[in-house]
Amino acid sequence: MLEEAGEVLENMLKASCLPLGFIVFLPAVLLLVAPPLPAAAARKRRSPRGAGMSRTRAEVDATLQAAKLRAAELLPTALSLRFGPGAPCCLLELEPALCRHLEAGRSLVIRGEKDEQAVLCSGDRTYELKVADTSNLLLCIPGCQTPEQLAREPAPPDLIHAEIFGFANNYWELRRCRPKLQKLRRLLMENTYEGPDSPKEVDSNHSRYTTEDLLDVVQASEEEIMAHLRVLNACEIGGHWRILEFDYEMKLLNHVTQLVDSESWSFSKVPLSICLQELGPLEPEEMIEHCLKCYGRRYIDEGEVYFELSADKICRATAQMLLQNAVKFNLAEFQAVWQQSVPEGMVTSLDQLKGLALVDRHSRPEIIFLLRADDLPEGNQERFNALFSVREKWTEEDIAPYIQDLCGEKQTTGALLTKYARCSVQNGVRVYNSRRPVS
Amino acid sequence: MEKIWEITRAEGLAEWVLMELQGEIEARYSTGLAGNLLGDLHYPTEGIPVLIVGQHILQGEIIHLEKSFVVLVKHTPREQDCDELGHQTGTTRYLVTALIKHKILFKTRPKPIITNVPKKV
Repeated sequence: MLEEAGEVLENMLKASCLPLGFIVFLPAVLLLVAPPLPAAAARKRRSPRGAGMSRTRAEVDATLQAAKLRAAELLPTALSLRFGPGAPCCLLELEPALCRHLEAGRSLVIRGEKDEQAVLCSGDRTYELKVADTSNLLLCIPGCQTPEQLAREPAPPDLIHAEIFGFANNYWELRRCRPKLQKLRRLLMENTYEGPDSPKEVDSNHSRYTTEDLLDVVQASEEEIMAHLRVLNACEIGGHWRILEFDYEMKLLNHVTQLVDSESWSFSKVPLSICLQELGPLEPEEMIEHCLKCYGRRYIDEGEVYFELSADKICRATAQMLLQNAVKFNLAEFQAVWQQSVPEGMVTSLDQLKGLALVDRHSRPEIIFLLRADDLPEGNQERFNALFSVREKWTEEDIAPYIQDLCGEKQTTGALLTKYARCSVQNGVRVYNSRRPVS
Repeated sequence: MEKIWEITRAEGLAEWVLMELQGEIEARYSTGLAGNLLGDLHYPTEGIPVLIVGQHILQGEIIHLEKSFVVLVKHTPREQDCDELGHQTGTTRYLVTALIKHKILFKTRPKPIITNVPKKV
């Protein structure tokens, strides 16, 4: 919870204020800070604070002698450490990549609303923030050099006075996590784009989000947000990011595929300029170009812009259009209608529907129904619960597309299945079911 | 209002050292620790760093940190950071004032220093 994190942070800052006196935790050892040994007798009458009084090298040497350390065995430089006035500070542990990010002058941002776990974002990565407690005392000391640093000095001094800036007994640690992007889709679905003539466009009461707005509320780095906007086929219209209403997106696609058919073009060489010319009277040019970008790959040949349309993407969208009209379909009938509905020359295949639809080969007749990965919950346990409510036992091949996005860095779907599911063998086939009873 | 904290580096990014101690530190007098000496730190030419605190001597080790620490200091907003109504803008800023790549860890039991005659300086 960001609020709690905020409180902890504030408490940490207060705790680091030196004038509080002392920190109490497991006392492994009790140390007393007192005026240094040899001069103890002489100092008894002086003020205990000793502020403004600097130790001299002679005093340090005297202490060394009393401690029976031989100066010959030590580096010539000693450091005298003193507590400073005390300032609130806190420690954040950073991996080398993040250090470099900061050193280069870029910033890190901590994001989260009251009901969300706080995350820290760099330009392209997202991390969970956790407070790590330690029973040890951590002192931050500016100007305190290590032997290696001293060795590099041409003329190291015989005494360095270092003032302790502050102390802490906890620090922030980071763990890389998946960006929380489901919120992005949810926000953009609040007001889908249905075309320029839709009454929604005139009414300014509907929610609209600019890039800045999204950066403020989505718990992900900028690059991760931009990448996901491309996945969602979102379009920046009038400075705001919009997801197209599915029927409108299909309308645009149909214009394009029909034009390709009537002009007898190859799907791998669709000229942009002629598309805009022919379809411009029907739909805004930006929308036609957006459709081509979503369903094809842009390239330039002899100075002209062309698009290579993706059969996989077009077949998949066509399937979604068919499947969303009913709860389930007879598989054989669906496959026939689907093949007839796609542009001539494209070949449909069930592989194109991973993460979009699920086939049930155990029912008679075999059926297929819509099941979209991005309609499922974002949390790991919740996602598995939802999947097991749909179907009790899954093969790895069937479930993998629906848990692929849960994988962290270097994590496989296999590892997730081991953690969240129970494996058994049924009719010679390995299947996975829930570890707990699913309601 | 959503809470956003922005962390950026301060103008000069210094390198500090972290010293890690087990236990508590108390001031002999109840005036608090501020301004008081902690002790002397020595580096043997070969061997372990030594810290003399009061009447104890501690032996430690220097550890190069795999993951560095940064020290964050809250940045107090100036006049310009408030909007027309005088409310602070939604972003709280923390400045990274220092980078810590090494720590000196003292985890062994301190040994008392026994003196017979305090040497007069």
